Amino acid sequence: MLRTAFARSSLAMRSRVPMAFRFYSNNLTPDSPVTSYGADPTVRYTENHEWIAVHKDNVAFVGITKYAADALGDTTFVEVVETPTETEAQESIGSVESVKSASDLYSPVTGTVIEANEELVNSPGLVNEDPMGKAWFAKIQISNPAELDQLMDSDKYEAFLKENDH
Amino acid sequence: MLGKRFYSDIAALRKTPLFDFHLAHEGKMVDYAGFAMPVLYKAQSHIASHNWVREKAGLFDVSHMVQHKFLGPDATKFLETITPSDLKGLKPFTSTLSVLLNSNGGIVDDTIICKHAENEYYVVTNAGCRDKDLAFFREQASRLGVNVRHDLIGGGLLALQGPEAANVLQKLTNFDLKEIGFGESAFVDLLGGKYHVARGGYTGEDGFEVSVTDDAKSLEFANALVENEAVQPIGLAARDSLRLEAGMCLYGNELTEEITPIAARLAWVIGKPRRADKEFNGAEEILKQLAEKSTPLRTGLVSTGPAPRTGAKILDKDGSQVGTVTSGSLSPTLGKNVAMGYLPRKLAKNGTELSIEIRGKPRPAVVSAMPFVTPNYYRK
Repeated sequence: MLRTAFARSSLAMRSRVPMAFRFYSNNLTPDSPVTSYGADPTVRYTENHEWIAVHKDNVAFVGITKYAADALGDTTFVEVVETPTETEAQESIGSVESVKSASDLYSPVTGTVIEANEELVNSPGLVNEDPMGKAWFAKIQISNPAELDQLMDSDKYEAFLKENDH
Repeated sequence: MLGKRFYSDIAALRKTPLFDFHLAHEGKMVDYAGFAMPVLYKAQSHIASHNWVREKAGLFDVSHMVQHKFLGPDATKFLETITPSDLKGLKPFTSTLSVLLNSNGGIVDDTIICKHAENEYYVVTNAGCRDKDLAFFREQASRLGVNVRHDLIGGGLLALQGPEAANVLQKLTNFDLKEIGFGESAFVDLLGGKYHVARGGYTGEDGFEVSVTDDAKSLEFANALVENEAVQPIGLAARDSLRLEAGMCLYGNELTEEITPIAARLAWVIGKPRRADKEFNGAEEILKQLAEKSTPLRTGLVSTGPAPRTGAKILDKDGSQVGTVTSGSLSPTLGKNVAMGYLPRKLAKNGTELSIEIRGKPRPAVVSAMPFVTPNYYRK
């Protein structure tokens, strides 16, 4: 595929249909199970559009970003791992499906999944309603906090989205 | 968690006459069979757009499909050689589902054939098979040495599907649409012209496919339809889940050149006189399979949990693979998963308990009759 040709068509399309710049608030939901666990968790993002919120005791919540939930559309099914489960970074610890597709949720870090969100299994629609709060997938006791340095912070993730969105 | 973003060069793709309509409705455009086609429109979810068609009326751009006209002294002979349909027995302005056959009885494409007169047919084939079908028609005509004229029909092809479809279309014409039953067609006064309207479709709902042979009129027609509040434009996402619920085949998934109409459970497309004359491609093999009843069969499956997807293994009670899923999805109408796959006949019986392997684990599934959702066709 010729990249130049694509850029041209993309601009052409945008000029025909003025579209407001899409803004995704990929921040944790205030007063959610994720934020009420402890104060000021460190939030990082992956290129696969997972978020991880790490608390002071190295317990982290993991889920998919608002951007990913919007791209997925109606969530029809969620599967989570049995707990406890040891996981490596990049290992599948759940899956999320729409009518059309199924995607894995990969652990951003190495650790032990100590709890999975069973409420999500019963109400997959939470992924669309509150992807960065009630729709956390897994709680992980992380074993190597240094791995977080390889992930994106909020600014880098927003820049990553802008670069890849058009 | 998302797969690679799927971009293609929209500018390099072919455009249907409704391309500007799709952009105006902010369709999310993708490459489908070389055409820029909408998957979903703005502010629609897949499930909402699917349900809209089951409850109201959906407008589908199917202009990417290939519309043909075959005419001339050998047109019937030609089409009765490359398909197993009884076209001599077909009444004018009546359509039938059919299949283009290779010499082994494999399916080159599925098609709708509409008879307009003796030796005059309107035929619609799949966009994804365009090049190979055109080559197939040429080769077969030359092999048979027949005198047939083959024209391609340009312009748009618009499908209006859903329980409100007839009410909506009736407002745009003085022609009494009650006169057109399921599987029938007529040239109908629309937008100051006369266009071919065929009753039927790919969703299991009542509906029409309208061949608007002029690009500008196609756009005008689409705009006139969506002015009715019962109509929403519907993209490819819902088109696929609707056809799956209706138990209909998708070429490339359920149908290939290795699959015969017998295995595909399309034996009904083989007209009765054709079973006697045996003068269609692959007749020997197909009639042998029909008599022996030993091929695997296209079979419906229903499950809960994660949805079966194309390529998933179908397992028997012992965990041995007995088939492969050809299409699968959550059914928005039924609230459970529906799938199709080819299974040995002894397992293809309704109620047979099997499993489908999804993400390394066997998940229970039960053989089920198709269509999964009861059709809502209009019969006179």
